[in-house]
Amino acid sequence: MLIRLDHVTHTYQPGSPFQATAIRDVTLEIRPGEFLALIGHTGCGKSTLAQHINGLLKPTEGRVLLDGKDIHEKGFSKKELRRAVGLVFQYPEHQLFEETVFKDVAFGPRNLGLAENEIKERVEEALERVGLTDPGIAEKSPFELSGGQMRRAAMAGVLAMRPEVLVLDEPAAGLDPQSREDMLQLISHLHSQGTTVVMISHSMDDVARFADRAVVMEKGAIAMEGAPEEIFRHGERLESMGLDVPSVCRIGMLLRGKGVACPEEMFREDQAYDALLALWKGGKAHGVQ
Amino acid sequence: MAFNNITLGQYYPVDSEVHKMDPRVKIVLLIAAIVAVFLAQNLMALVPVMVFLALAARLSRVPVKLMIKGLKPLRFILILTFVMNLFFLPGETPLLDLGFAVIKRESVITAVRYSLRLVLLVLFSSLLTLTTAPIALTDGLERLLSPLKVIRFPAHEMAMMMTIALRFIPTLLEEADKIMKAQTARGADFESGNLFKRAKAMVPLLVPLFVSAFRRAGDLAMAMEARCYHGGEGRTRLRVLKCEERDYWACLWVAVLILGVALVNRLF
Ligand SMILES: Nc1ncnc2c1ncn2[C@@H]1O[C@H](COP(=O)(O)OP(=O)(O)O)[C@@H](O)[C@H]1O
Ligand SMILES: [Mg+2]
Repeated sequence: MLIRLDHVTHTYQPGSPFQATAIRDVTLEIRPGEFLALIGHTGCGKSTLAQHINGLLKPTEGRVLLDGKDIHEKGFSKKELRRAVGLVFQYPEHQLFEETVFKDVAFGPRNLGLAENEIKERVEEALERVGLTDPGIAEKSPFELSGGQMRRAAMAGVLAMRPEVLVLDEPAAGLDPQSREDMLQLISHLHSQGTTVVMISHSMDDVARFADRAVVMEKGAIAMEGAPEEIFRHGERLESMGLDVPSVCRIGMLLRGKGVACPEEMFREDQAYDALLALWKGGKAHGVQ
Repeated sequence: MAFNNITLGQYYPVDSEVHKMDPRVKIVLLIAAIVAVFLAQNLMALVPVMVFLALAARLSRVPVKLMIKGLKPLRFILILTFVMNLFFLPGETPLLDLGFAVIKRESVITAVRYSLRLVLLVLFSSLLTLTTAPIALTDGLERLLSPLKVIRFPAHEMAMMMTIALRFIPTLLEEADKIMKAQTARGADFESGNLFKRAKAMVPLLVPLFVSAFRRAGDLAMAMEARCYHGGEGRTRLRVLKCEERDYWACLWVAVLILGVALVNRLF
């Protein structure tokens, strides 16, 4: 399933005194099976862009195409689109509403009009995937869960629709380190099982670790696009946009500044580990302490 | 989505003599103007009121279109008032025979007078809300009601509640929009189906909205306490309301208006 944004511009409340153009002439392809990271300063239009992918927002100009068909054309099934493209909003736990976790997760599948046994199967599968497997937890009120569990329950609500493309708006924001790591592992696992992932993130470490491709936005337009290694080579440019490079990158730059022959291709922890270990071994061989 | 077009409060921020008036005076004068409207016993007596309103609106520099817009939600009531009075008021001189009913001259005049009265009331109130920021309005109300504190009327608390409500309505609308989108992403449908179905579809919107409102209220209470808020007792104000020359002039003109209406009443 190929999603293509074709010269998409979106203006909020056009014609009113509050008119604001959030994204400008964005052309972007979301390729099947990829892990795409969307990065940019707060207010640059990432969330607006994300909401175009499943047709929640309609472009003021331009088109959104799914396998070549305009999703806002008459006769295009929005329901099918919403099933195929799951969108997990920022702080998704704020949308929980049902009496029990089970019922809340079942909300999506029920809206799809599935049979009761199919719904049950999907809910159980989704809860299992997000790791909400404690006995009795499905019958608890979602408001009794811990913050991390609530986030996972909300995520399960989207996964139960079995989307082929999963769009996540800052999925790890505001979580404790353990829940954060669990969430990222979950997303990575879903991706490895074939789900296309689009993730908005402020953590360059996470982008370097998981993404195949990164898109950098600035003031509503796409400023850079490419593999994370490509993007992070332009550290100054990112900094001028108020962004960052992965911490490992920064260590590499500091070491090179001190004349240490640290490789430039160092963006992730595992790369840093290998590079520094090699340096250390090399140093030892030359008798340097 | 549905909530994008709501702009709350209708304050129209320009710099004018009416805008600069003391909110307390404006509230009192609104009441006086309403009294003038009700004082008018015939159509002619409403003429000075209309002239006064036109001049005041002109002075406020609020576009006429915006003032007229305030009438839109009331159009059904207006039409209903007019039609009901037209058909059901007693009268003597027949004017028009519709076959099923006879329109009488007296009932036409009364119907026009009643509808006009309603229109004037709304326009005067609009003039107040268009030229006074909501915060100034609650501030003015608090000061006007504070004498009632002797009979234990919680004037300060009421004004504080109104201020907080006004502050949070846009926030809650934004929140509602976000939740609605999130549920739509899960296949919820807020737009089709019969009344019962639509009411039921509101549950996934309203529950999270209430939860979030309570959470915000708790946070706000905490933040206010952290800044030593302890009610109105001994609290001083950042903006001290003061009556100035323009306020006295306004009072004078409204007095003239009431006298004018009384005079026309006598004449016709
Ligand atoms: N519902 C809305 N109405 C008006 N303006 C909005 C709305 N949502 C977002 N904006 C504006 O659009 C711009 C982009 O917002 P957003 O897409 O949320 O950015 P990001 O997710 O990158 O922080 C911001 O300037 C924001 O103020
Ligand atoms: Mg955002």
